Amino acid sequence: MGQIESAAVLRGHRKPRRKVHWSAYGYLSPAIISISVLSLAPIAYTIYIAFTNYSAMHFQTYQFVGFKNFIDLMNPNNPLSTLFIPTLVWTFIFAMVTTLLNYLVGLFLAVILNNHNMREAAVYRAILIIPWAVPGLISMLAWQGLLNDSYGQVNALLHTLGLPSVPWLISPFWARIAIFMVNLWAGFPYMMTVSLGALQAVPNELYEAGSMDGAGWWQQFRNITVPEIWKITLPLVIPSFAFNFNNFNAVYLLTQGGPARSTNQFVGYTDILASAAYKMTLTFNRYDLAATISIILFIIVGFLSWVQMRYTHAFEEVDD
Amino acid sequence: MEQVLSTRQTRKVVPAMRIRGHRLNPGESFILWLSRVIIWMVIVLSIIPMWFVLTASFNPSNAYFSFSLFPPHPSLVNYVQLFKDGQFVVWVRNSLIVGLTVAVGQVLLTASSAYAFSRLRFWGRKYGLMILLILQMFPNFLAIAAIYSVLAQLNMMDNLGSYILVLLGGSAFNIWLLKGYFDSIPKELDEAAIIDGASSWQRFTRVILPLSVPMLVVIFLFTLMGAFGEYILAGTILQSPQNYTLGVGMYGLISNQFAKNWGEFAAAALLSAVPLTVIFGFLQRYIASGLVAGSVKG
Repeated sequence: MGQIESAAVLRGHRKPRRKVHWSAYGYLSPAIISISVLSLAPIAYTIYIAFTNYSAMHFQTYQFVGFKNFIDLMNPNNPLSTLFIPTLVWTFIFAMVTTLLNYLVGLFLAVILNNHNMREAAVYRAILIIPWAVPGLISMLAWQGLLNDSYGQVNALLHTLGLPSVPWLISPFWARIAIFMVNLWAGFPYMMTVSLGALQAVPNELYEAGSMDGAGWWQQFRNITVPEIWKITLPLVIPSFAFNFNNFNAVYLLTQGGPARSTNQFVGYTDILASAAYKMTLTFNRYDLAATISIILFIIVGFLSWVQMRYTHAFEEVDD
Repeated sequence: MEQVLSTRQTRKVVPAMRIRGHRLNPGESFILWLSRVIIWMVIVLSIIPMWFVLTASFNPSNAYFSFSLFPPHPSLVNYVQLFKDGQFVVWVRNSLIVGLTVAVGQVLLTASSAYAFSRLRFWGRKYGLMILLILQMFPNFLAIAAIYSVLAQLNMMDNLGSYILVLLGGSAFNIWLLKGYFDSIPKELDEAAIIDGASSWQRFTRVILPLSVPMLVVIFLFTLMGAFGEYILAGTILQSPQNYTLGVGMYGLISNQFAKNWGEFAAAALLSAVPLTVIFGFLQRYIASGLVAGSVKG
């Protein structure tokens, strides 16, 4: 209502309305139809299911239950919270540690590679990009094999070096270490590439001005390079965090969420919320809980993206 | 792709600015060699896992109690077995069907809307763009419970067509990407075409689309690779072995009877990863530069 009124006000008083291209709706129609049916409708239905008791038990005769699912998952006195709360905490830890590790290692390597005296740097860069270029699905599954407790080559290597074998993917602690390690292996090249781009975008005039003022290598690095890189790469950290927050492949294909918890049958020690929603749907047919977890993920990712957009002014671009 | 060009130029300019024959002082030399040693170590750590997979694929016996850099009796038996079973061909075929259909579909669905958002003025343009911006933040697998139950009720489970449909829904980001590219094409070209009496459809098909072929190819290839790397929806929807995509099939190889299948898995991993890795190698500069370009703007 408010919009129609304000449009009327605009028409009456201010700038003349620009011409509307009615054909635009024709150009838009394929995407409008496909996005509405295949993207918006499933989201709307997910929200609906989250407020019902829809599950294999109530497949035909489900009822509206209000906020019960949300309360069940978050109330510490409810057994279902032993499923949700530790998984939420681990999801945050996983996304945070993975993002920071990848960022710091990538940035460090980029700084090292950006040495003008290192003539072969382009070759190193090309080799270091390979782990990122291998499709994540294949590399995660391959790592699952390499880290296999009794047959895996990583333990065989440790054995040859005279080190004790490590219960990767079997002990909760080592499974988590394995996830950080493998995701660092797969993720640092991206951060390295982006940081290298940022380093090379630092205007040369800054360095020239710096050296004219008598700044040494370290002073130039601290006062020019660091702030410039920071400015360019920091906005990439939040989307990377949001991506890892939902990085199903990185966890499920490596550990299947395991090892299993003794406190509940639904999720394991390394399950993140996205893989928990998957298991709820496919293994346990608890669509209500899966949808509720998805809604919570929507809210968290939405908040992160909102922060990101405020930061990069993405919405302003829409305004023109 | 202005951004791509400019980063490429800086990359070329920087070496040219080096002073040839410049002798390093001891401090610079020390830092250079220390950096090299660190990078060599990182390279070894990055390469070793891939080397392990490579050797496993040529190792006829699946016993890994001892470690060796080269398999003692290399053979192609894993590769032969992979093709003799016939599953691998089926998986690759299914992944190709899904990937190519979705990639072509995405290009068709996104191009005309990106044109409307970039060049036409209409009611709802601003909110439409905002909706796209918000939608692209949410991966479509978050609606997994809804997708599963709707497909189950409509009796559309275990069907490549349903899987393709579900993947086609995720076009918000591509529209946004393509709109940005269209925006970078000079408006003067449109104006010249208008003076020549071109309709909006003619401007779209004769001016904008031909100039955007590189970006359309990028979207096509990214979508294709995305379909090869997708597991969560494939694992949900596709249930019988003749419908498995590469991901679901390989997941099965590694999680059932690991010790028996590891060599075959390694062979399959190698055969499928190499072409995808090469495509990615060509594309990666578009990702890196595109993202940095976006953040530089802010």
